[in-house]
Formats: sequence, structure tokens, C-alpha cells
Amino acid sequence: MTVLTPAAEVERPASVRATGPARRSPRSVLAIALFLAPAVGLVALLMIAPFVDTAYRSFFADNGFTRTFVGLDNYVTLFTSAGFGQTLLNTLMWVAGTLALPVLIGLLIAAGTHELRWGAVARFALVLPYALSGAATAVVWMFVLRDDGALNAALAAVGLGGLEQGWLLEWPLNTVVMIVASTWQGTGVAVILFLIGLQAIPPSTIEAAKLDGATGFRLFWHITLPQLRPITVVVVGISVVNSLKTFDIVWLLSKGGPGTASETLALTMYRETFTLARYGAGAAVAVVLTVVVVAVSWIYLRRQLRAN
Amino acid sequence: MGRTVRGVVLVVTALLWLVPSWLLVVNSFTAAADYTGTPSWWPASWAFAGNVAEAFDRANVGAGMLNSLVYAVVGALIAVVVAALASFAVVVMPVKRPALWFWAIYVGTILPLQMFLAPLFSGYATTSLYDTQYGMLLIYAALAVPFAFFVVRNYMTTVPREMHEAAALDGASWLRMFVSIHLPLVRSAMLAAFLFQFTWIWNDMLFGITLSTSPNVRPAMAALADLTSNYSNVGPPVVLAGALVASLPTVVLFFAFQRFFTRSLKLTS
Repeated sequence: MTVLTPAAEVERPASVRATGPARRSPRSVLAIALFLAPAVGLVALLMIAPFVDTAYRSFFADNGFTRTFVGLDNYVTLFTSAGFGQTLLNTLMWVAGTLALPVLIGLLIAAGTHELRWGAVARFALVLPYALSGAATAVVWMFVLRDDGALNAALAAVGLGGLEQGWLLEWPLNTVVMIVASTWQGTGVAVILFLIGLQAIPPSTIEAAKLDGATGFRLFWHITLPQLRPITVVVVGISVVNSLKTFDIVWLLSKGGPGTASETLALTMYRETFTLARYGAGAAVAVVLTVVVVAVSWIYLRRQLRAN
Repeated sequence: MGRTVRGVVLVVTALLWLVPSWLLVVNSFTAAADYTGTPSWWPASWAFAGNVAEAFDRANVGAGMLNSLVYAVVGALIAVVVAALASFAVVVMPVKRPALWFWAIYVGTILPLQMFLAPLFSGYATTSLYDTQYGMLLIYAALAVPFAFFVVRNYMTTVPREMHEAAALDGASWLRMFVSIHLPLVRSAMLAAFLFQFTWIWNDMLFGITLSTSPNVRPAMAALADLTSNYSNVGPPVVLAGALVASLPTVVLFFAFQRFFTRSLKLTS
């Protein structure tokens, strides 16, 4: 069997489960508790508890000094604010872009280099940025995208000076180029995961298909791709979660600007909380963002389960 | 024909990908005095060592890297072991509602990290964990658990059922079954999870700048962030040189293990 089966498989582990030293004897219950406690404890204490605290704060007007209960006011303000539609649109663009670019490029590079002797060299180029820190990535992309940066210089050098522009200054161009920058850094993970998936395909499957006359694109489309399904679920699942949570690269490159034109939900939350010190409003954005991410992940993983 | 097209596409993609990396390296070699304000395409000077020295001098990058090493190694190790225990419970042991427990842990990968900052900051302040190495280790280990759990759990589902049925007939305890059967079989998945989480902890800046201030507690990326902040504006070459040196451990580790774990992640082999 392949590795990394989709998370959705948790729904049907019954086949593996009904065995063990003693089925659900008191000692087993204690053992289960001891095995689960560290992970559940850490997550509950340091992630779920802060989340609940944040959710609670979202019902208050809170400037850091005084706190008054306002019910759902923070949510109403958020949903009716002028920039909210734009923020949602940007977040949607990030999800679409991150699904289209890193997943597709990762799949093509992994499939293209997988049986190639010099493939490791090409993969090196794509995986390198993943190991770099966010600070280095931001400085380099500032170099590339500034008005007097590398991209404009390169365009002028090849006689396309007419295309020169302030890449980070206008929406929707700034969101698009930031998605490209994020693709540059993030595609390496997809390459590695798809490579793992490709290497887990039994050679006999490929050989049988070749004996039946399948080659090139048809072999890839009808044989390889279906076999990659479990790993694709993982890559897409991770991409969706990460794109909805996009923060670092936007914060470092455009600060969400000009104005709030390139803000994503994660940036709105950060700005409300740390720049404007409106803790309650920031908490409301955090709750909305969390609900969206959890809902999307859950729907996606559930759907994959049923499709299997 | 198809082979040529594939070769060309791969080479062009790889070269495009290398351009920003190239700019990063070249500009980290430029002496601060030679820096013109625009990025250079070719090394103008060979001041890399000087830039690194200045980065280490202005911000506590050296001490930060030592701290980060401790956090990344110990934090990722704790996370992977804790994740393996939980995976064993969810996959092998007769848990009621395994899906519920799966989501209880997996939800940690979903929650946006920025929303932890304010509650964690006040929580850390009241429990005196703020600005301590234990506090940093605790948060990094906790944040690394959910994804490690996701990876290890998925591998553990591929362990053939017969293996623990046989062990159960022999009367092995849960712990012995875990240590002698499942742990060795998911070793490579645990290594992969360790590498991913080591890289993540090493590259974290958000929690570093929020939960610590002292040089002997701050991780490397938080120290680097000091370099770029207003009061010590030293110019991009120094920042890049510092960032490059601080990224070396993850780059080396990644490529040292890449071959190993792309090959060994197959449980079947």
C-alpha cells in the first residue's frame, strides 16, 4: 500500500482496530489515556485554550485597558465594513492561486524528474527556497519587485521596458506577484510529497500498463495520476489550509497595502489586534478565519473519504 | 521529441527558480559601502565574511542560532515522540470515536497561528514562562505536534494488522507492542516529520519575537528581525548575509536527508 493515505481514512479504521492485548479492559482504557494524553494535552492547553479565549474576547470591545461586553457588534462591524469584501476576494485569490500554481508545478516537476538521472539537480533548484527563512525570502523578493528592482531592470534589458511597473503598488497585480513569490518558496514541499507518492507506485503497475501499449501522456493520465490520489489529497489539503492562513509574505512585502487593498483575513486580524489595539475586533476576525479554514478542510477531507 | 520538450521545460523552470536564490547569494557578498541601492546581478565585492561578522555583531545571531538549535532539535523530537504515541492510540488501540480524537489533535494544523499570540502572551506572563527557554521549548513542541501526528498516523495505518494480532496472541503489553513493532516500522515517517518540524521551528519568527526578549532566549530568526528593524538599519547585504548563514543548517540538513527520506518513506520496501 502507499504511504500517506488521506486523513479522511480515520473514519474507517475499524478493520485495524478491533484487536489488541485485551479489548477495552480497564487496563487498556488507562493505557489509551496515557498514550493520548501528551498530544491532546499539548494541543488543548496551547492551541485550543487560546482559541477559546480569543473566541470569548470577540464579544467585547477591548482596547487593552477597558473591556465592555458588546455581543455580536464586532462581527456586525466586520461584515459590514467597506474593506471586508476586498479581503475575502484576496483570500479567495490566494486559495485559487496556491491550488493552481504550487500543486500543478510540483506535480509536473516531480513526475518529470522522477526517473531522470539529472532530475535531482532540477529538484534542488525548486526545493532550496523551502529551506530558506521567511526573512531572506522577503528581502530577495523586495529586490525583485521594487520599482528599481531586478524584474524591471531585466525587462528593460531585453527591450520590454514598456512592461515596467510598480509591481507591489496596484491591486490586483500586487496580490498576483505575491502569490508568485509564495509559489517560489512553497513548491518544494509539493515536489517532495509527490515524489514520495510516485516512488510508492508499484513498478509492476506501470509495466503492465506499458505492455498494454500506454505511453507518455496517456500513461501519466490514466495510470500514474490515479495512483497519486492519496498523496494529492494531502498536498491539496495542506495548500488550502496554508493559503487561507497566508500572512508572512504579504506582511513583509506590501503590509497589506496600498491602504488595505492586498489584505487577507490573517492580515486584517493582525492589524486590528496589534496595530489598532482593537483586541475584540481582531478576535472576531480570528474566529471568522478559523471557522472558514475548519469548514473548508472538513468538507474537503469528508468528500475525499466518500470518493474513496 | 517528447523527451526534448520535457528536458527544455525542466531546465527553464529550474533556471527561473534559481534567479532569486542567485540574487540572494550575490548580494550577500556586496560590501555595505559598495551597495548602490539597487540589487546587483554579479558580485561587486567579496565582503561576505565582513557582512556576516557585522550581522553577528549588531544582532545576537550567534547566540540566537544556538538557542534555535536547542528548540528545533528538542522541540521536534518531543513532538515526534508524542505524535507517535497518539498515532498508536488512534490507529491500533481500541479507542472510542477515533475520528474525534484525530480532529482534536489535527485541528492544531488548521488554526491560524497569529490568533495564539495575544492569549499566549498574557498566559505566559502570568505563569512566568515569558522569556524563558522552557517556555519557548513548550510552545514549539506543542505547535509541532499536530502536523507530525498527521504524517506518522498516516504511515501507521499501513502497518499490516497481522503484525499486532500476532503480538497480542503472545500476550505483549501495549507499550511493548508499540516499542518493538510499530516504532521501528514508522521510524522513517518519524524522521520525515522530524525534519519538516525542525525546519519549521528553526524558521519561526512570530513566536520568537512575541514570547522572548533576552539574547539567551531569543531564537535566530527573531534576532535577525532586530537587524531589519528601524534602530539598526544596516542595509540589505548585511541582512542577507545573516539570513543566509542562519539558513545554512536547514539547507544542509534538508539535502543530507532528502535522498534518505524520499527513498525510505515507502513502508513496503
